[in-house]
Amino acid sequence: MPVRWRKPGRLVDPLDIAGVPERIDRDGEVVVPLDEDAALAAIDRLAARQVEAVAIGLLWSCVRPDHELRLAELVTERLPDVPVSVSSRVAPVVGEYERFATTVIDASIARAVASYLGRLDAELTALGFTGRLLVLRTGGGAEPVARTRAAPVNSLRSGPVAGLTAAASIGAALGHERIIATDVGGTSFDVGLVVDGEAQRSGRPLVDRHPLAVPAIEVVSIGTGGGSIAWYDGDLGALRVGPRSAGAAPGPACYGRGGTSPTLTDAAAVLGYVDRLGGDVRLDVAAARAAVGQLCGPLRRTVEQVAEGIVRVATDQLKDLIRRTTIQRGHDPSAFALFAFGGAGPQYAAWYAAGLRVRDVVVPPFAAELSAYGAATGDVVLGAERDLPPTPLAEATRLLDEEFATLDEDAAPGAVRRRAVSLRFPRQPRTISLPVDRWDTPAALAALAAEFRARYERVTGQGTAPPELTVEVVAVRSEQVSAMPPGRLPRPPREPARPQRQRVAWFHDHARECPVYRWTHIGVGQVVAGPAFVESDQSTLVVPPGHTARMDERGCFHLTDGEARAR
Amino acid sequence: MLDEIDFEILRHRLDSINEDAAAILANQSGSQLAAEARDLNSVIMAPDGAVVCCGRYVLAQVVSMHLVVRDILDRYRDNPGFGPDDQFLTNDPYVGTLHQPDVVVVAPIFVGDLLVGWSGSTTHQPDVGGPNPGGITYDARSIHDEALPIPPIRLVERGVLRADLEREYLSRSRTAELNRLDLLGQIAANASVVEQVRAICAEYGTERVTETFDRLLDRAEAMFRDRLSRLADGTFRHVAYVEYRPHGLPEGEPEQVYTVRLAMTKTGDQLVLDFAGSDPQAPGTINATYPALANFAVGAVLIHLCGGLLWAPGGIWRAVEIRSRPGTVVHARWPAGVAMSTASTCQAIRVCVNACAARLLETDPDLARHVMASCQGAGGGGGTIHGTLPDGRAFATMTLDEITGGGGATWSADGADSSGFTTSPGASCVDVEVNETYLPILYERRAELADTGGPGTRRGGVGSLAQWRPHGTDRIEAMSFGQGLQHPVATGVAGGEYGGQSVLAVLPGAHAEVATEQPMPVRTYPVAGDQVHLAVSQGGGGLGDPLDRDPAEVLADVVTGYVSAGGALRDYGVVIVDGTVDGTVDGSLDGSLDSAVDGPGTEAAREARRTERIGRAPRPPQPERRGRPVAATLDLVERRTCCARCGTDLCGAGDDPYEVLVVGERAMPDRSPFGVRYRGHERFVMRHFWCPGCAAQVDVQLARTGDPVVRSFELDVR
Repeated sequence: MPVRWRKPGRLVDPLDIAGVPERIDRDGEVVVPLDEDAALAAIDRLAARQVEAVAIGLLWSCVRPDHELRLAELVTERLPDVPVSVSSRVAPVVGEYERFATTVIDASIARAVASYLGRLDAELTALGFTGRLLVLRTGGGAEPVARTRAAPVNSLRSGPVAGLTAAASIGAALGHERIIATDVGGTSFDVGLVVDGEAQRSGRPLVDRHPLAVPAIEVVSIGTGGGSIAWYDGDLGALRVGPRSAGAAPGPACYGRGGTSPTLTDAAAVLGYVDRLGGDVRLDVAAARAAVGQLCGPLRRTVEQVAEGIVRVATDQLKDLIRRTTIQRGHDPSAFALFAFGGAGPQYAAWYAAGLRVRDVVVPPFAAELSAYGAATGDVVLGAERDLPPTPLAEATRLLDEEFATLDEDAAPGAVRRRAVSLRFPRQPRTISLPVDRWDTPAALAALAAEFRARYERVTGQGTAPPELTVEVVAVRSEQVSAMPPGRLPRPPREPARPQRQRVAWFHDHARECPVYRWTHIGVGQVVAGPAFVESDQSTLVVPPGHTARMDERGCFHLTDGEARAR
Repeated sequence: MLDEIDFEILRHRLDSINEDAAAILANQSGSQLAAEARDLNSVIMAPDGAVVCCGRYVLAQVVSMHLVVRDILDRYRDNPGFGPDDQFLTNDPYVGTLHQPDVVVVAPIFVGDLLVGWSGSTTHQPDVGGPNPGGITYDARSIHDEALPIPPIRLVERGVLRADLEREYLSRSRTAELNRLDLLGQIAANASVVEQVRAICAEYGTERVTETFDRLLDRAEAMFRDRLSRLADGTFRHVAYVEYRPHGLPEGEPEQVYTVRLAMTKTGDQLVLDFAGSDPQAPGTINATYPALANFAVGAVLIHLCGGLLWAPGGIWRAVEIRSRPGTVVHARWPAGVAMSTASTCQAIRVCVNACAARLLETDPDLARHVMASCQGAGGGGGTIHGTLPDGRAFATMTLDEITGGGGATWSADGADSSGFTTSPGASCVDVEVNETYLPILYERRAELADTGGPGTRRGGVGSLAQWRPHGTDRIEAMSFGQGLQHPVATGVAGGEYGGQSVLAVLPGAHAEVATEQPMPVRTYPVAGDQVHLAVSQGGGGLGDPLDRDPAEVLADVVTGYVSAGGALRDYGVVIVDGTVDGTVDGSLDGSLDSAVDGPGTEAAREARRTERIGRAPRPPQPERRGRPVAATLDLVERRTCCARCGTDLCGAGDDPYEVLVVGERAMPDRSPFGVRYRGHERFVMRHFWCPGCAAQVDVQLARTGDPVVRSFELDVR
């Protein structure tokens, strides 16, 4: 419900906040000098509270960090073993609420992250590991442990991002520059976009409703997944799915762990789309039928009809989220390939991809573990980002000179430097980030502005970026990217596979005898015609009637239906 | 026939299409109001304009957008006509918007020749012309002293934005560049809805889509009527006040008081909101037009009576009748000025509906959980500032510091602190750094302020203080539309107190004390040199008798600074020992950790307070309620109205309990922040009503001195 009637819990107890007299203005002028005596008194008070970490946030530190850095020195002198997070280092962006919240989150996880990574590093060394330990970033790629320990907030929610970057790299190999990456799990559905080979960044990321002002790849989530509970809404006269979820405990009824509510996974079990959990645990179909059967009365339908309804309602929610992440941002899904992964992505891709008119529906190998694959193969990225006072792009040469001079790190051997600027029209909340390598001449800046206008119009329509509107630069980013060796995917066998067995499943209100294949046995170029199932120990690809799944030489399935073939 | 599955899929899709439209609008807008405060919204409407889906931004902007569509249907069918891919723009509050700055753009959705619905979007513009930057002329003699509204014009024809009309629209604004971004955003948002609704018509059949519209409206109506049926029949009343200095009022006179009176009658499954008893209109600026009345009244019905129901406002409308008299402050007659209505009279309308809805809900023990006290109204920080930037350009805008007031308390929780308006769930105040980026001001302080939340068993959310001075300029002109200076605005419910009142003051310097006698802000006032502009937003209303609040919760509030130790005793009868709190939540709380509740002292203080209320020792409470609730604290027992707490027999079921309750009156600035008083406060009084048996607080009413007691609930007991 509405965002502000109940606020999220406080990130920090008010008693653990200490104010310190000082003030810097937006131009970086010191209006009130830092009162060091007052600062020491405040630090003593926090010390008496036995704080575990300290976050420092001062107004306009993003423009002039002096006071914050001095405070950090004072804190470290008094509390040498306490981790200190400084807002101008963690999130140098304009907007104190977002910056401070991010810094507090950073401080609050600092100790746990440092201790965990320290132990991990030690144990790996003890086990004889000689490689370099890297940690995923929510902004994409991975970074050395020391970086993460300096600003652990950058590792939050990086798991789903790895799935997206894996999809981007597999997609690049397949020649797909534009990708809708979809991850269906037990409790959530995540969508991210790759446009022109780049994972799309988020404007205003949130964690548990708290803002996160660090570079982040955008992964949009809803709570629809295999565990989502279906129910009959008598007031509305509608079959609904979610927002309640059976979660992992008790889980769907068919898991046999005491769940009795009908979930999406139960519907799939009733329909015969899945019959095992993991490699060998058989699903309790009778329990699934009993759970789904509770809805037969009010809906005046058979248990299979209800189950098909649940699959349609749930997968349409997923489709609505895909539409929102593409169309809302001005992207036409028909220019994209859709990647379906996560434990249940291959199970429902045929439904939620239908009607989107995407170019290709790809089910990658390791669909259930794609995020782990992405983590293992992601580039090493060392980067920094910084907000600028909004400045007309045409006048920004000197500013960019200075900013990049500060941001650019010493070149690492073999690394590629990538610089980008965030542009917008005056005061707009949404910015467009563009790669930049020259900003020294009016012509170079004009070309950048033209590129911005073109991108903007692509999103918001022809004629919406008139030349009289000023283009502002509001942020800069500089990254050093060291490519990891590409992951080696196992090649599928040369020989086509034969079905291992047959199983009855329901499609369009009819029971059909369907072949069941072993995922790893499907040969290169083999076309599996629906209705059919392709199973691995982790997931099941459902190929409904009228659909086909073709295996390519990289181990990816390409799912097509009648509509796609007709085009 | 649309089945339960297709209906659910289409319902979800429509919501998603509409949310997309609002997001397109927010992302494309350049104005701070839309981008930061989310002062915008989007809707999908049925062919007759009935609102089927509405976004959750500023609700009051859209729940009655059918009025705009009806105007087009009634007047323009033949000339100029409307067809596929046309769009109409209006900011005419006499047609359908709240006030001139809210610009509405609607687009018919055609599939072939068939009109299947409308899309609508609205954004608050920084400036739409008129004599004053920001659009408000405080002492307007009529609407001719304000921005002259634009009735619906066909701005987009067959998908093409007419260059001549666009110029005509933008030429009047001081912020043409920003208005242009908003306009393009609104057009793009509507176009996206039109395109996507057409797509689902192609996919599912137009008939199924229109059937979905109908069913959403029918179900919303049925659910709402069902809820109404479960509640007691009766009439509920509330009175709210607006202060305003009309043009030509002599200096010596205090502001005039304009009274909004609501009698809400619920009979069976129908609701009548009767505002006919409200005062005659003012010459300018504070009046609400009928569309503003309808939007705020039905928006408040949605929030305060429809919790947990389907929010399809067009369906809710079918069960609601609004009665009003043209020529009153709630239903202005052309050419009365109306630009400031949303901050003044409309807030009074909202508070009236809120209070009456709460009293209606209290008659059902299950539905009483939906009761919520009033949130802040437009407060001290509400207003515009204008002047010159260091580079010589002019600026005029709002700081939005007012969106930091408190939310109303509910039975399940205290009101949200510094939450902003309940009616604008997506709106929030702006970062200090963002305001300082664009405005030549420097904030000296922004902090939640202790004792501003309305005391109650559940406390109202606290309001906030914002203090800034000119920086990079010598002088800034300010204009306030804040209400609640002479008295509080955010009503409590179920015996809870009003939230804290607003403060607006110009201090001579940074560390100056706030003088207790403050002048009311005149139409514009300067903040110059070292002067400091101080504003306090209102707290939210409390719920239930504050003497029933758990002392441990009061202590927790004292420790975190939401209540001062003095406030704990004054407002809650709780004795705190060793508490020293400076009154703000900004990290200056040394020593308060040692605070503790003096248990026996608290018990004695509360007993003394109850004795003081009724002039004798109170009766003990009874173990449990014995009858059917007629109000939060009153039961009907065998055709007698009794105190629910102690069982005291008060009067016959049909009699007026207010005649037997003990009344205590308190002068107005009894709880104002810094003890500030504004001239004119002496005309108001806070009336407390107590059970003569146990001294339970039954009701708290703000009244003009000498006005009769309002019989705030009168159930039909036949």
